[in-house]
Formats: sequence, structure tokens, C-alpha cells
Amino acid sequence: MPYDSRDDKAFAFDGDWREFAPIALTNLLLCVVTLGVYLFWARTRERRYLWSRTRFIDDRLEWTGTGLELFIGYVFALVLFAIPFSLINFIALNGAMMRGHEGLAALIGFVMYLFLISLTGVAIFRALRYRLSRTLWHGIRGGSDAFGLAFGFSYLWKTVLGSFALGLLIPWSMTSLWNERWGRMSFGPHRFHAEARAGSIFLKFLLFYLAPIIAFFVIAILFAIFGVFAAMLGGFPQGGSEGGGAPPEGFMVILFAIGAAAYLLFFVVLGVVALVYYSAYFSEAVGKLTLGELQFAFTATTKDWIRLFLGNFLLVICTLGVGQVFVGYRNWTFFIRHMHAYGEMNLDTLTQSTTREPGQGEGLLDAFDIGAI
Amino acid sequence: MLSTSARSDRSDPPGTIRVWHYDGVNGLRRAPVLVVDGDRFTLAENGASDGPYAFADLLARDAVAGETVFGLKGRTGWRIGFPEGVPDVLKPLLPKPTRYGGFIDRIGLWPAAAGSAVIAAIVVVIVLNSPSVLARAVPPSVERQLGDLMTGDFGDRSCAGPNGPQALSALVERVDPGDGDIDVRVVNLPVVNAVTLPGGHIVLFDGLIRKAVSPDEVAGVLAHEIGHVKHRDVMESLLRQLGLSVLLGGLDGHVGGYTNALLASAYSRDAEARADDYAMTAMQKAAVTPLPTAQFFTRLSKGEDAKGVGRLTAYFASHPMSHDRAAKFLASAKTHKGDRPALDADQWASLKGICKTDPEAQKKPSFRF
Repeated sequence: MPYDSRDDKAFAFDGDWREFAPIALTNLLLCVVTLGVYLFWARTRERRYLWSRTRFIDDRLEWTGTGLELFIGYVFALVLFAIPFSLINFIALNGAMMRGHEGLAALIGFVMYLFLISLTGVAIFRALRYRLSRTLWHGIRGGSDAFGLAFGFSYLWKTVLGSFALGLLIPWSMTSLWNERWGRMSFGPHRFHAEARAGSIFLKFLLFYLAPIIAFFVIAILFAIFGVFAAMLGGFPQGGSEGGGAPPEGFMVILFAIGAAAYLLFFVVLGVVALVYYSAYFSEAVGKLTLGELQFAFTATTKDWIRLFLGNFLLVICTLGVGQVFVGYRNWTFFIRHMHAYGEMNLDTLTQSTTREPGQGEGLLDAFDIGAI
Repeated sequence: MLSTSARSDRSDPPGTIRVWHYDGVNGLRRAPVLVVDGDRFTLAENGASDGPYAFADLLARDAVAGETVFGLKGRTGWRIGFPEGVPDVLKPLLPKPTRYGGFIDRIGLWPAAAGSAVIAAIVVVIVLNSPSVLARAVPPSVERQLGDLMTGDFGDRSCAGPNGPQALSALVERVDPGDGDIDVRVVNLPVVNAVTLPGGHIVLFDGLIRKAVSPDEVAGVLAHEIGHVKHRDVMESLLRQLGLSVLLGGLDGHVGGYTNALLASAYSRDAEARADDYAMTAMQKAAVTPLPTAQFFTRLSKGEDAKGVGRLTAYFASHPMSHDRAAKFLASAKTHKGDRPALDADQWASLKGICKTDPEAQKKPSFRF
């Protein structure tokens, strides 16, 4: 039967943080006493809760992943990649350096760096595929038939190319990689399609790109003004009892305060501008995503993104870090709140996914400590 | 629209329970009745019957909004849900949902947490303490191979000016008599430092030799590095680093990194203090005065703040504070009698010029493969 969600919001979250708190806090306790091993089970419990309180059209989502498969994935990645990498780094790279073979060391380092970039791509792809394959709606799951190796290669060359032209191709590499990985994903019998374009977000990227340069000039001008001001004032204290010589302490304090303020301003401004770009990118990316007859949209404004990040930041700071356990909850509700879907989903033709179910979880992503949104 | 709630006005025959059902084949939500037959059941809808299935093959899923949901072993997406809760007659036949997972559900949250905390404490103690035992268990030949693998011949940076190596050997023989296992080299880098590498390789950087005021000062640094070799400190710290990075790998990147740095540096400071103790004993035996070494540390301590912030950041430092080290070397001088210079004037001159007078080492470092 067709579903039309034009009037209603297709995505809704009906959980409550008080209901989630016992899960989050016991997760924290168990993670601490197991030296972090419980992390994989904790993440699974968190997702089970978040998914189960998320309604899409007429039914809830269900997370079917397990802590064990996440754990196994992590161990795999550690044994297959992280440990050999450290050994190569430690023995081959050091050895080459110590023998005075800087050229060889640089070559080894360079090859390892390229390999690491592609592996990051593979990790991102496989994490998305895993998450879709463990997400159930109406008893149907998603997935992908690709292993992610091809995506890893694309990720490598698009990232490298993206950083060419002084980084001006980054919007292109981000959108084209988004299109590529989502284009390989499916839910039930339907393939996702993504046609995000870099053109529409390029101006905002330019803003982000130029902000540090502009900020630098503004700060330099401020310092110059202060310098002139200080030199003018500097004439006065000489008549006082202390006499001239070392600058008065007050000046140093003001100078230091201006320096600190400029430093903070620089990062706050840069962070905000980065969010202006990122919110535009994410709206474009989700907005050009379709699944069968369904279209998606993401409507968070830059202000919403800032509120999310500022809220997370204050939550963690004010609770001395304990609030970290609620960050995942906040991110998920933010995501669902601003996520929209339009169009139709025919349940008669929504048949089970025939993609291969991956055996284990997001190990690569964990082993290399890559955050994912 | 599909019906999503069971209609209670319809009278179902006894022994049947209204459920909702996904078969995992397509997305249609069905509303069959569950017909119990001993330890098995069938799902009946519109005259058609699906099953039988064994209750033992059901898997408990999370209950949402009072609805208890079950999956079926080996069938992705197959679900039955009891919109009005599970009838009492069925409860003994159905599996219990997992909450925390695995053994924690069996023994309860608090006993599991307490048990895990004890195990965690034991693991931490083992990981922190076993490297010193393990390092001594690694055969010297294995360590030597590892060292050779890492350092090789130091390329062409190892200096050998006229009579330089002989002067260096004399110095080594003086502070560590009759030990053939230690390999000391001077490497042409303008760094005021010395390092000990696995396999008894000690590297003195030329910057240190040039800055040194007397051979006794170099002897102090050398004796300290020999202390590291004797205590197998390098192997121990390698093993500890490996253990800590695996142990703390599960933690969030930053937390893990800081904890790692804090623990590793605490052990490193201990090792440095032990190497200092070794050096003082060795210098006393060799009758080499520790005063220039004390002065060397006093010079280093000029840059550090012994009270305020310096004391605080010392917890992250790999070495003890130079101020304290200078005081210790100074105090050890009181026990010395009849000290003789570590090298004579000619030997000292050869050592000073070991890199400067070596044409090979003076070549500009090339970009080699």
C-alpha cells in the first residue's frame, strides 16, 4: 500500500532523555569497570534504544546489531591493520631513519599515508553498510553488495585531488564521495540514489576558506591600533614616580587579553563558518538523496547546528565529562528532528534485501578512531 | 492503511492469541492469530496457516511501549509482537530479553560491575608490572637483533675521527670495565643528548660532546645510559608502551592518550632515577668525579621552574627535574676519594674532535635510499 507523508512528518522521535538516562549511566559504569571493553555493547544498547523510539511513517526502526560483532570487528581491524601499521612505523620507518636513509623513510611514510587514507574510505563505507544492514523497518533491512574497496580507492584519489587547487575542490570531493557511497547502498529491493552537487555550496565553502585570512588581517589591524594607542599613552607615566623603562604591568595584561581574545575569536569564528558550510553541505547531500519513490530532506539551519554543538560542548564541560554519554542521544534526536521524507513507499514491493549481511561491525572505523556522523 | 492494532472486539477461539507479524520476506504487516500447540505454534490468517515454529527458536527483542517483540532464529526481519503483552500461559515458553548483554544479565548489574572492576584492577597491575619481568626474560640476542633491525650501522653518521674511537672505548672501559656487550657511538648531530636503543646500543650526539666541559661530564652521561642498558629499560618501556596502547585502545582517543602518557612517563621517571643511581655508583667505583655531571644538570635546570608550574608539569615529564638530579650528583661527590680524570688531555682532544676530524661524517647528509 502506498504511503504518502506529505502532510505528516515522516520521521519522528518519541523517546525521552529521562528514559535514556539509566541506559547511558549504566553504560558508563560498565565501560569504566571493563576498561572500555564494554564500549561495543554500550553502543549497541544505545542504538537499540534510539532506533526503537524512532518512527518512520507508520512503524518504528529496530537496531539488530550486537555488541559482540562490533567487538570482533574491532579486534579484526586491530590485528589486521593497526598492529602491523605500528610495527612498520616503528621498525621500518625508524630503522630507515637511523640508517640515514631519509629518502626511503619518506617513501615508506608516504606510501603508508596513502594506504591509511584509502583505508579510511573503506572504513567509512563499511560502517554505513553495516548500519544499514542492521537497521530494520517493517522487517526489512538495508545493505550493500560492495565491499568498499573501490570506494577506498575513490576516497584516496578524490581526497588527494580535493586538496589540489589550494583545497578549492574539497566541496566537489565531499559531494561526489557522498554520491558514490550512497549510490552503492540499498534498502530492501530499492537502491539509494544521490546527486548532490558542489556548485550550490561552493560560495559557503569560499566563506569558510577565506575566513581565516580575513580574521588574520582583522587581528593584525587590531594589534596595530593597540600599538599606536600604547605608544601614545606611553608618554604619560614617565612623569610619575616610577619613571620610564619597563612597560607598566597594565599594558602587558591588556596586550595579553587582546591576544587571548583574538585567539579565541579566531577559532570561534572559524568554527561557526565551518558550520555554515557543513550545514549547507549536509542539506544538499541529504536533499539530493532518493530511495525508490522516496525523497529526503534535511532542514537544520546553521543556527540549529551551532545550538547542537554548543549544547554538546556545554553539556560535557558542565558535567565534567559525564554528559558525554548523552551526546549520542542529542545527535540522533537532532538528526531525526530535521530529517524529512516525501513521496511513496509501496509495502507490497518492499521485499527483503538480498545483499550479503556483513559478519562484523565498524571495526576499522573504531581502530582508527574516526568519528562518524 | 494497514491495521496496526489488534481488534479486541473479535472473539478468537481459545488457545489462540492475536499478534502482529512481519515475515521478513516483504514489508507487509500482518495480523494473524498465534495458535499454541505444545512447545510449538502456528500463525493463522485468512484460513491459511504458517508454521509450525518452536517457541525455543524465538529470540527476545526489546519491548517498546509495552509491546513485547520476538524474532526467529535464522530469519532476518521475521517478527511477532504481542500488542497487549504476553499472556501468562505463554510466559514460561518465551525467552527473556537481554538487557546489558551476556553474563551481566545472568549475574546482575552490580555483581558484574564489581567483578569487572576487580578484574580490571588486576589487568592494570599486570600490564604495568609485567614489562619489567618480561624485559628481563627477552634473551639479549633477540634484543640485539631488534636493535640491529632498528638502528643498523646508523648510515654514515657514526663518527670515527683519528684516535676518536680509541678514546671513546677508553672512556667506556673506564666507567664499565670488562663489558664487551655495549656498543657506544658518536653520531654527527648537533643535539645535546644521548639515547639508549635496544640491544645495548648507546648513541652520544656530537652536540653533547662539544658542549661538554670535561671528559668527566661525558662519563656521567655515558654511565647513565649504561645504567639503562643494564636494567633493560628500553625493552621494558617498549613492552609497556605496547601493553598500554592495547589496554587503553578501547578508551576515547584523548582520554586514552593522556592516561597513557601519564603512566608511561611515571615509569620512565623511575627508570631515569635508577639509571642515575647506577651512574653514581659506577662513577664512584671508577673514581671519576660526579661534579661536572652535577653542573651539567644545573645548567639544564636554568630553564625549569622548580616550584610552581614546573612541579606540576613534572608529572608529564619523562625525566626527573634537573634541579633534583644536580643535587643528587652533588651529594654523591662527598663519598669520592682520589678521583682521576676520566681521560687524559690527548684522549679528550681526540674525543672532542671525533666528528669534526672525520671527513666521512662531515659530508652533508645525503638523501639516501
